[in-house]
Parts: sequence; structure tokens; C-alpha cells
Amino acid sequence: MTAPTAARLEVRGVTVRFAGLTALDDVSFTVEPGTVHALIGPNGAGKSTCFNVLSGVYRAAAGSVVYGGRELTGMAPHAVAGLGIARTFQNIVLTAGTVADNLMLGRHRLTRAGFAATALRLPGAVREQRRHRARAAEIAEFLGLESHFDQPVGALPYGVRKRVELARALCAEPGLLLLDEPVAGMNPAERLDMADTVAAIRAALGISILLVEHDMGMVMRLADTVTVLDFGRRIADGTPETVRQDPAVLHAYLGQQEAA
Amino acid sequence: MSELLTGRRAAAGAGVLVLLALPFYADGFWLQSGLFAMAAVLGAIGLGLLTGTAGQLSLGHSFFLAVGAYGYVWFSGGASGNGPSRLTGLGLPPLLALVLAIALAGAAGAVFSPIAGRLRGMYLGVATLALVFLGQHVMLNSRSVTGGFNGRPVEPMSLFGFSFSDASPRGLAVLGVPFGGLERLWYLGLALVAIGLFTARNLQQGRPGRALAALRDSGTAAAVMGVPVARYRCAAFTVSCLYAGAGGALTALAFTRVVPDHFGLALSIDFLAMIVIGGLGSVGGAAAAAVLVSLLPQVLTVYAERLPLIAPAGSDAFGATPGEAARCLYGAAVVLILTLAPDGLAGLARRYRPRPAPAAASTAPAPVPVSRTATRPSPGKEPTP
Repeated sequence: MTAPTAARLEVRGVTVRFAGLTALDDVSFTVEPGTVHALIGPNGAGKSTCFNVLSGVYRAAAGSVVYGGRELTGMAPHAVAGLGIARTFQNIVLTAGTVADNLMLGRHRLTRAGFAATALRLPGAVREQRRHRARAAEIAEFLGLESHFDQPVGALPYGVRKRVELARALCAEPGLLLLDEPVAGMNPAERLDMADTVAAIRAALGISILLVEHDMGMVMRLADTVTVLDFGRRIADGTPETVRQDPAVLHAYLGQQEAA
Repeated sequence: MSELLTGRRAAAGAGVLVLLALPFYADGFWLQSGLFAMAAVLGAIGLGLLTGTAGQLSLGHSFFLAVGAYGYVWFSGGASGNGPSRLTGLGLPPLLALVLAIALAGAAGAVFSPIAGRLRGMYLGVATLALVFLGQHVMLNSRSVTGGFNGRPVEPMSLFGFSFSDASPRGLAVLGVPFGGLERLWYLGLALVAIGLFTARNLQQGRPGRALAALRDSGTAAAVMGVPVARYRCAAFTVSCLYAGAGGALTALAFTRVVPDHFGLALSIDFLAMIVIGGLGSVGGAAAAAVLVSLLPQVLTVYAERLPLIAPAGSDAFGATPGEAARCLYGAAVVLILTLAPDGLAGLARRYRPRPAPAAASTAPAPVPVSRTATRPSPGKEPTP
């Protein structure tokens, strides 16, 4: 159960094309170990595409992604997960079953029990399951999910399910956590709660977090660095303060109006 | 909660006792039907893991049952005859032959699994359809192994000189009840089913089961959680074939003769009906539905004379044969289940499961006593003389 420590993520010149549409065009940025890095931009800017490249779901047409010295482009998603990169989805993608089942899925890469050992209930498999379930319960408690631990996810409210997804990603003990719009669709109280949680994760675990988010308040409060995408291109990169005053960013978000 | 748990344990214990005691009361016909049901349970558990848990459709399940059945017959059977009716076989000890037959079905599944790893759901179903026809062709034409159209007799199971047949020891009686082949096989079948239920449940509740359920619900989510999708799809297919092999071998033992006709597309469809009626993803539900679906034709056969619209087997009377009637009935059951209770028998059991009520008194109705000799006349038609 060795938690990988955060490593540097370097995205260099990544380009993704879908049948004539260039979704990402020569995008580069670096996520320093242990920082919160936000990826923002208007709808269709290529943020989710970028996430899919980072987690191995999409192939980049050009460019490279290096995490801790390993080249990720061309790796299968499960191999990327094996390096300690975990992610959540914009629209919740959970498995039918209890919260515990989902969190234990998060521990898949850290566990070994195979078909034969599990089917026959060999002591090693039973012990492994018990040990990892205890850790999953700890993580559930950290995210305030302890009372839901044995409940089926289908019956839980939206905001809670969103937290279950985050907990599942944390259960993989990642060094880099990719959060795709963690507060989308939440009410203001839930948003504040989630922002506190992300801050707490960073403080407690020291892992890197790459965040796609539309909620500017949350981005400005949490992020150490912000990268702004528009139509698949990087238009700004820097601290929240510099990005906020960047004319290109204001133009992308507000249209033709000049910066006030 | 603990009270509820002990209640369920007691019910399960009572069920096991009834199953263990059945050979002392039931006649040969019902014992053989029960053994077919057990074989169906094993097959349904396998297909349940593949389709219910991993979300992969297979229409070729009957092929892998055939591999298990003919595998057992060939491994255990000796060479005999000559000329065109010559049969080959390895003549291995039956227990070894059983293990090898299950392994052979698994190996056949593993050979096909690269396809299973790359195709999803429906598409895999169409690809596996080919296996059924391939199997029929091989069974009919590879005469020296399968015996061709008329099939091949099955070597009885035996363990350390104890034969699961009417011979050796001949005239065995337990508590005054003669214990022939069917009575002895009954316990072998129960043991296989117990192993099947135990392993399938463990798989489903363990790491592999969670990974399979995840890739059923979203291949992408499973992959980014570290599940190698193609490898797990392959494994699910292979494991389901192991259960099919066990079911096939037990079918062979219960039949005492294997014929190609039994392992057609209809059998594959029966298995799909079982897992849908049982509730996709539920091991217990699949097992219960397997018993229902495989016993229904037998029940209809016995009561054909008293039931309207069903013609007794071999008669010219107007009506459907028991087999056809059974297919119509559970076809209707599938439709009802899909529209009214998509979670199947397992979902219904969950819905009506007794909750830990403050009052300990059970409100369950007393079981209706069923007499073995007198059956209630069916409403409507009187039996025709």
C-alpha cells in the first residue's frame, strides 16, 4: 500500500484532432508536484479532451505527456492508472452497488487477488480485501461519507454521488488527481463544501490536483496556477491574479467587450 | 439485524436438509429432473457471471456445455467397436475425466476469448452464435468421438471404486431406501452446485467481480480505475465456460447418453431466459430461475393429462407438447419480468424480504401442504379419459 508521491506532469505540444476538428492545438503546461492547477476555458475549449488524453482514453495526434519521467501518450488507460493518476468524470460514472463497492474498485490497482484466489476464498485474498476495505472506510470518513458506506449508490443524492466519485479516485492513492468539474450541478453550500474538501485533500495528502472547473470563485481560491484554453489553444498560463487580468482571457470569456 | 440473519440462515439450512433428504422420497423421474436442474444451475451461474456481471452476451453457451459433456464422455470412455461405429476414448478415471472436461470447456472458452475481449455486449452475442452451429456440425460428424446423431453412452462417475451407478456396490440401500445411480448422483450434483454457488458468489463480491461490474457499467471508468478491460472480458468469458463445462458434464452423467440434439440454440436461449428471470447480476436468482425453467417441462409432462391445451407426449391429442408449452410459459415470464420486475426473482426477493420488524412474530403465511398423490384438478376442463 505504498502511496506514490506526487511527480511533475509535463504536457508538451499536445494536439488532438477529431475528423477535421482540432480539439486541442499544441497545448503545453506543467503541473508542479503538490500544487493545485486549474484548467479553465469556455465550453468546447478542449478541457475534457485534455483530461481524456492525460488518462489514456484518447490518443494525441502529436505532442507528449510526461509524468514522473514516464511518457503517457500511447499508454492504455489502466496502465496510466497504474502510475498513480486517478480521475473523476464530469457526469458521474459509478458502478451499480454500494459506496463500499465503488471505493474498493478504486483500490483495484493496489490489490492483487485474482479469479482463482477470490473464488476459493484463499486466506490471502480475504486478508487483502479486509485490509483495503478498512482503508476505503477511512477515506469515506475523510470525505464525510461514512454514514453512506454500505448504501447503494443509486439511492444517494447527486451531491453525495459526486463525493463518492472523488472518494473512489482517492482510494487509488493517486499522486496526481484529475478532477473534471467537481462542483458542476451543485448548490452553493455543496460547492463550498467541495472546495474545502479539495483544499483538505491537498493539505493532508500533498498530491497534485489538476482541476477543470467553470466556477471561477473556486478556481481563484484554490488554484496555484491556471491554464486557460480557448478553441483548443492555450491562451494564458500563470497565477490566478495574472490570468484574471489577461486581455485574451477576458476576450474569450466576455466576447467583444474590451477589458474594463 | 442478527435476528433476521439467523432467520435467513435457518431457512437456508432447512432448504439444504430438504435437498439432502429428497432421494429418500422422490422417485427416479424427479431425481433425474432434479439433476438436469442442477446442471442448468451450473450453466446459468456461468452465463450469469458473463452477462449479468460483466455485461457480455453469449448465445454460444450451449456449445460450451457440449464441450463439457462430450469432453467427459471422451476422457472417461474407452475405445470400442470397429468400422464406422468405432468409438475412441481415453478411458481415464471418471473423476479425472470430470476435471479435465471442465478444464477443456475453459480452454475452449480461452481460445475464443480474444474475440470476447474485443467485442462488446450484443456484438459478442452474434459472434458466439456461430459456435452453436459449429458445435452441431462437429457433434454430428466427428463420429468416433461423439457417436454422431445417436450420441454416445456415458461412463458412470466413480470415486475410489464407489460407482455413481446402479452397479458396484450393487443393491446398495440406505435406511431401507434402494440407492441406485440417480440417488448417488444426486449428492454429486449437490456438491457441484454448492461449489458453483460458493465460488461464483465469492467472485462477484471480490475484486474480479467489482472490476467486471465496473466495465459492464462503463468501460472507460473501469479502465481509468486500473482495470485492463480486454483481459477482464477474456477472463469473464473463460470463467463462464468453466461453469458451462461443469454443467455439461453433469448433464451427461444424468442423461447416461449424450446426443447432439440437446445442445442446440434452444438451450442457449433457455439459459438467457434463466438469467433474465432470475435477475441479471444475481447468482442466487439465476440458480432459482434455472430450477424453475428446467423443471417446468417436466412438471407439465407429468400433469399434461390434467392441464388444458397440453397434449401428453406421444399422443395425437390437440395441444402443445409439454416442451413447447414450457417455452411459451417462460417466454411470457421473461416478458413479464422485463416489463414489471426488471430485477427478476432476485429483485422480487429483495422487495419482499422480511424486514427486522419490532414484533418478532412472523407474518408469513403457513406453507400450503401439498399432497403427493392427490393433485387439485385444474379449473376448466376435466381430464379426458
